[in-house]
Formats: sequence, structure tokens, C-alpha cells
Amino acid sequence: MRNRRFAAIVLAVAVAGLVVAAGASARPQHSGKATAKAGSSRVKAGGIFRTEWESSFDFTDGFDPTGEYLAEAFGIYSNLLVRTLVGYNHVAGAPGNVIVPDLATNTGVITNGGKTYTFHLKDGIKFGPPLNRAITSKDILWAFERIGTKSVGAQYGFYYDAIKGMTAFSAGKSKVISGIKTPDLKTISFTLTKPTGDFLYRLSMPAAGPQPQEVSGCFTQPNQYGRYVIASGPYMIAGSDKLNASSCDTIKAAGGISGWDGEKTMDLVRNPDYNPATDSTKARENFPNEFTFTVNSNADDIYARVTRGDIEEEVAGETPSVLRQYHGSPQLHINDGDRTWYITMNLTQPPFDDVHVRRALNFVVNREALRKSWGGATAGDVATHIAPDAILNNKLKGYAPYGNGQGNLAKAKAEMKLSKYDKNHDGICDASACRNLLTITGDREVEKGFIPVLSQNPKSIGIVIKDRVLKDAYTPIQTTRNNIPLSTRPGWGKDYADALTFFGPLFDGRNIIPQGNTNYSLLGITPAIAKKDGVKGSVTDVPSINADLDKCSLLSKDPRLNCYAALDKKLTTQIVPWVPYLWAHALSVSSQNVTKFMFDQFGGTIAYAHVAVKS
Amino acid sequence: MVVYILRRLLWAVVVLLAVTLITFFIFYKLPPGDPALRFVGKQPTTESIALVRHNLGLDQPFYVQYGKFLKAIVLGDKYGWPGLGYSYDSSVPIRDKIIEKAPRTLSLIVGASILWLGLGVLVGVISAIKRRTAVDRIAMGFALFGISAPVFWLGLMALFIFWYKLSLTAGTGYTPITESPTQWASHLILPWIVLALLYAAIYARMVRGNLLDAMGEDYIRTARAKGLSERTVIFHHGLRASLAPIVTMFGLDIALLVGGAVITETVFNLDGLGFMAVDSVFRQDLPATLGVVLVATFAVVFMNLVVDILYAFLDPRVRYG
Repeated sequence: MRNRRFAAIVLAVAVAGLVVAAGASARPQHSGKATAKAGSSRVKAGGIFRTEWESSFDFTDGFDPTGEYLAEAFGIYSNLLVRTLVGYNHVAGAPGNVIVPDLATNTGVITNGGKTYTFHLKDGIKFGPPLNRAITSKDILWAFERIGTKSVGAQYGFYYDAIKGMTAFSAGKSKVISGIKTPDLKTISFTLTKPTGDFLYRLSMPAAGPQPQEVSGCFTQPNQYGRYVIASGPYMIAGSDKLNASSCDTIKAAGGISGWDGEKTMDLVRNPDYNPATDSTKARENFPNEFTFTVNSNADDIYARVTRGDIEEEVAGETPSVLRQYHGSPQLHINDGDRTWYITMNLTQPPFDDVHVRRALNFVVNREALRKSWGGATAGDVATHIAPDAILNNKLKGYAPYGNGQGNLAKAKAEMKLSKYDKNHDGICDASACRNLLTITGDREVEKGFIPVLSQNPKSIGIVIKDRVLKDAYTPIQTTRNNIPLSTRPGWGKDYADALTFFGPLFDGRNIIPQGNTNYSLLGITPAIAKKDGVKGSVTDVPSINADLDKCSLLSKDPRLNCYAALDKKLTTQIVPWVPYLWAHALSVSSQNVTKFMFDQFGGTIAYAHVAVKS
Repeated sequence: MVVYILRRLLWAVVVLLAVTLITFFIFYKLPPGDPALRFVGKQPTTESIALVRHNLGLDQPFYVQYGKFLKAIVLGDKYGWPGLGYSYDSSVPIRDKIIEKAPRTLSLIVGASILWLGLGVLVGVISAIKRRTAVDRIAMGFALFGISAPVFWLGLMALFIFWYKLSLTAGTGYTPITESPTQWASHLILPWIVLALLYAAIYARMVRGNLLDAMGEDYIRTARAKGLSERTVIFHHGLRASLAPIVTMFGLDIALLVGGAVITETVFNLDGLGFMAVDSVFRQDLPATLGVVLVATFAVVFMNLVVDILYAFLDPRVRYG
């Protein structure tokens, strides 16, 4: 027995020693030095900017610009690889959402009552190797024809249905897109079916960038051209110059450009055909000679490498422990993420078919406590309405109809008293519909932290949730026939800085589909759609904002912003489909090798176009 | 012996067929969602989902999909033989993926297995010979630690100490041996040790137990009565008899690690077959999962065969006809 005890003590000491050693690694690595600001003498051209991604790139279409719908991919295209007619300066905040000319000489001439946009291409713009030829208006037209080719699978092709003739082309009823004209190699015009206030934003998306038909035309299925993307930006996929582009056969035989293996590593080097005179240093400074993107299965290792300076940047989940480690460090960069995290309520399912219950839940949830489980104020701002303030150009700044985060039990009870589910009007739901309310939660660390808050807060107004934690929590809530009443999983980020990219996909009743549905609240559902999609519950008289969406989409500039701001208020207080709780920050940790760091508000990523690294 | 091997190989084909059928069925019937949803972006339409389903062949009946899968394996596909299709996730041919990842996993297994077999047998024998002494207790303490310490924790600690703090090794990742043998070894030394520690501990306990049992047998008493030296008694008579179950276990452990060294591969970013297996399951990448399952099943069947044949040499009583 004594010997066993001795062995146990020895083991305990050994374990304790290792734990202490492990703890040492979790201490903040304060350098005491801030990374240099723009214009600093430390900022020099050259070097390799190395980024590691956790687990996988998670590309949605194998990096084919026509179909790829991942924000991080947008960041790589827009900063480095693919130029568009109009783009951004790749800076943080509101200036980062301002459209500027890129391949075009200006941001377009708008005529015909806001329905025609005409652009002229700059001189000296060329595709990179192996083509080394001038980019023409035909290459942009081809990109749109590819968007309209159904088999290619353009994942956000719907944004371009506003172009006259696009739907007919997609349906195979026309061989040309009648709304796009290329009177000469330098000019292109787009005629729309109706004024579309955010059309310039849509033209800034990577799918709208020029593509060489002699290469991308070889690929008519999704997930293929991504291995062969020909550069129009300052960098190209390494090995592009080795690609034999003499025919589709030789292209396909290569199996992809060597610098991008399709899965784990992507290597971008300078594009010799890029002419800086055709670009602006405000948009792209192009300091590093090379960018490498590598997948690493171990997130802890990624952060250790950043700390050691083995890599410059991470694309990994910043867990609360990482936030604690880098809290206050100049290596931790905090920017607006233009993303709302929210609890969604299904308007067809009791008790959420009663607006008073939905309001009561909004009053009772302690958003501040939810934010704490994400890592506190570093993780984001408490969300008090639907769209992030920046998307509405701060039109609703300070608007908080349910308070600023702590929850208000008295108001929640007052609201519940008005509900049909509170028969005795004591402010506590007494219907069976409020018991064992199935709630789908993801298995991320932050979401597991919700469970105590969500178990306690609603209980005080009689709502008892039954939490189900799932790794893939989106699938059940995106399948309408599951009739899930409540979920804490959803979050939504902008595609570009316009509220349409929030309200359209999330609340348009015409977008409800049986699988992959993103209108989780089923706003605007009709009995006919419900029957088709297997929705059971209160499917009559579900509120709809379809008319509001149509009205706002026709407007532009300030009237558009005002329209969406009003719609946000209506949603937040009258319809109440969500409990929004966090406007997440975009967080990233860079190494001390980074001599200049900037954030690109468009892609919500590092501004690769402006970063610099020690050579 | 030849007939026996042929018969076993025939059974191996049956096992492979059964395993692929079950795996295919599980993926076809059980996942809560549609794999196509992963590839339609965040704003899908019914049409875009249908298009992806069609492109991936998911709109065909189960038996058609399975039939095409089998046909490709037997006859090959456009990527070569055996035809394993392409990854839903990246469009990379599965065959190429497996060829690229197999050396990583094999490098890990070969190095670790040499370590754990050598260490496990050595510690087990010493522990058995020095039963109930301090040496025995230290050895079994080591075994207890090896069995108890989670691999991911050991891996992280090893990285922290030997790479992050002391810079003695190359850290995570993998360098092919053809590129740089020293870098290859430097990247693998920690995964070898961490993986070997768990198995060495198990083997040490097993060897100790088996050897102690064997040393109590009549034939050992007879050997001693014949005046053989204690060394000869232990190593020629005792150890040989106690090694038979070790050989079985060793063969199966190696085979299981072909697709099962997930944690070690993840912690050390080796990106081998084990990581591919788990990753493909999470991503609902059916061709990738099937590819790894096939390779892992083949490894298990093959190693079973090797073990059975080795038995004939280890134990004279075993003969195959």
C-alpha cells in the first residue's frame, strides 16, 4: 500500500509539473512593442507572409471565383488575385466599404434612371502568366456568362439576376445576356431590369472579375477552375507560368497550378504582368514577395507558431482562452465583423407564434452574460437590433428597445402577461408549449457557455428549454420539416456592406426552401409553402416583410439606408423573429514579424494588400 | 499453406465488400443532412441543391451509387486504378490523396511500433524477472503513466517542452524522407515517442503477465530440472511462449493505426490517413471516407493473415493445411 501511495505521489508531482509548464504557455506574450503603423520606416517590401488555417480552408467551391462563397476567399481574391471593375481600398471601418475604381477608370456612369452602368477599362491591365495578355471587356462579359451557366454553380449568382436578360440566359432561352454590352474592348455596360441601389457592390464581388475564357471555359462544373485561377491582381498562384494553356486538354492534364494543391497549401507569388500604375497604393501596396496559406490541424500549434514567429497570421477560432492570452497585446487585432449572432425563434411553433412571448424572451435574456461566454467585450458588442450598426451607417446607433444587455425581468413579465400562453396573467407562461422547448445548440465552446444562461433566464417567465447540443446544428434548423422552435446556433455576416445581404436571405418568405433554408423564423411563410415544405404549426397569418424588402431594394444611398433602418426597427419590435445578442468583432492574432497590419472591411479579413513583414 | 493463404485472401475480398457496403449504407441512410448542402453556399436554392446532388451523383438510387463505386474499384476510373473517385470537398482524386497521405501514417506507425515493441518487451521482461522489486514497481509505474496519460495531452506537453521551449525538434508537420531524412526524423520523433508510450505501457504489462504465467508452467520446471541456465530458460522457453499473444496484438495494433492514429496525427499536424478519415466524416465527404475505410480494412485483413502465418513459425503446434 505504501509503495502504491509513493507511486501515486510521484505521478501527481510529475503531472503537476507538466500542468505548470502548460500553464506557462497560456500567459499573455506581451512584447511591449506595437507593430509599426503605415509609413513607418520598418515597413519594407519583401519577405513571405505565412498564414495557417485551422483544419481546412473550408472553401465552398474549391476556390473557383464564380462559385466560391467564403469570406476568407473573398479576402484573398480581392486583395491579391482577382481585380474587379470596382473594388475597395482594403481598409478597416466605414472607409473600407466605400467603392473605388479598380480595373475601371471610374465607378461607372449611371444613366437610364439608375438602370444602366457604363465602365471603361484602364490601359495596361493584363492577365498574369501563362496568358500574359490584355484584359478586355469580353473577359468581364465571359465572367457573367459563366455566372449564368447553371452547371458551373455560381453560388451567389442571384445577385446578378437584376441584369436584363440574365435569367433568360441562365434558363437557356437566350444565347446572350441582353443587358450586357461590350461596344469595344475597353467598354462594358450593364442594363438592369430595375434600379438596384447596391449594384456597384455586386460588381465588386470576385465572381464579377474578368476571367479568360480560354482557361475557365474548360471547366463547366463546380469545384474545378479553382485550381487554375489566372491572376488579374498583383499576385498569382505560384507555378502559373508553368501551366500549358494551349488547349483544354493540356490545362486539365496539369491537374491544377502547382502552387495550390486544392486542399492544404496555397502559395501566391508576384504577378509579373501586374502594372502598379494601373492600381492605387491606397488600395494595394503589395509589400511581401510571397503569401503562403497552409492548413494545420492543431489550433494550439497555430497560435504557438504565431507567438514564436514561425508564421505571421492565423485563421483559427479565437477561443476565450486565446483572447485571454493575447488580451491587451498589440498582436491581437480587433475590428468590426459586420456579423450578428442571434437566437432564432420559429414563428410557426408555439409559444413563438405569439409576438408577446417573443418580446418577453428578448426582454429576459441577459445578452451581457451570453457575450461573456464568447470572451467578453473583446468578442464583440452587445447586439440590440438586427443588422450591425455599420451596415446601416449608424442610423440605428444606440437603438436598444430591449435594453442594453442585462435583461429586464419586469418588462419581460409585463409582456408575457399579454400572451395567450399566460392564462392567469401572472407574467409566467403556464401553457405546456413553454415546457421542454427543444433548443438546438452548436457544440462550440462559446455555445456551451450559453446553456446556463438560457436555462435560467427564460425559466423566470415560465419558458423551460430542453437543450440539444449538436456538432452540426445548422442542418436540423435548416430543414423546415423538423419544425425546430428555438436555436442558439445562427450567425450571419454580410456579403457586402448593404442591409439587403441581411434582410433578403434571412427574412424573405419567397426564399423559404425545404432544405438549406436560412429564413429560420419562417417569416412570410404561406400555408401553400408550409404544405410543400412539411411545416406543421401556426402557418396562417405569419407576418411577412416581402413588400418592405421590394420597396427598399429599389432605393439607393440615404433613402435606401433609411428604408432598411425602418425595416430593422419593424423587425426588432413588431415582428421579433430573433433575440440578437452579439455583433461579433473580427479578431486576428499576428506575429511580431508583421511590421504593418491592416484590416479589410469588405472581406472581413486581413488586408493582405497592405500588410508587411520583416524580410 | 498456399491453399490456406488463397482461402484467406478470398475471405478478405468478402470482408472488404461487406465493409464498403455497410459504410456506404451508413452514409446513404444515416446522416441528418444532405452532403450537397455543403457545396451550395450560404444562400442555396432548391435548384442549386439539385444541381450539386446531380453533380455528385447523389440523386441516384443507393444500389446505382454503390454499383458505380464497385465498378470503379475493379476497373479503375479516370484517375487510375483502383478507382476511388474524387473528394466532394476538394475535387482531388482520392487515390492521389491516399498515396500522398499513406507515407505520413506509415512513417508514424513504423517508427512508433519499433519503439513500443522494443521498449514494451524490455520493460515487461525486466519487470517479470525482477518481480516485486523496486525495479518492477518503477517499470509498472511507467506503464501506469503510459496507459493513463491521454495522447493529446502528452503530445501537447511534448511539443511545448521539446519544440516550443527547447527547440530540440522540428515541431509539427511532416517532411518526406526523400526530401530530407533528418527533417523527416526530427518531425516524427515526438509523435513516435508519444504514440509508442501508450502502446509500450500496454505491451510491458502484457509481456510481464504472460511471462510470469509461462514461468510457472511444467515445461519450465522441466527445463530448469535439466540444468539449463536461467537465461536460457527465460529467453528460449518462457519468452518464446509468451510472445505469441504479443504478435497477435502487434499485428492488429499496426493495422488499426493505419486509419486510427487520429489524435497523434491531429496534434502533430501530420495530416495522415487517420486525420483524413475523421475529417472526411465531419465533412460528409463519402468518397474520402470510403477510401480510408478500404485501406484500413485491407490493412486489418492483411495483418491478420501475416499474424496467422507467423504463428506457424512461433508455435510448432500450429500447422495450416
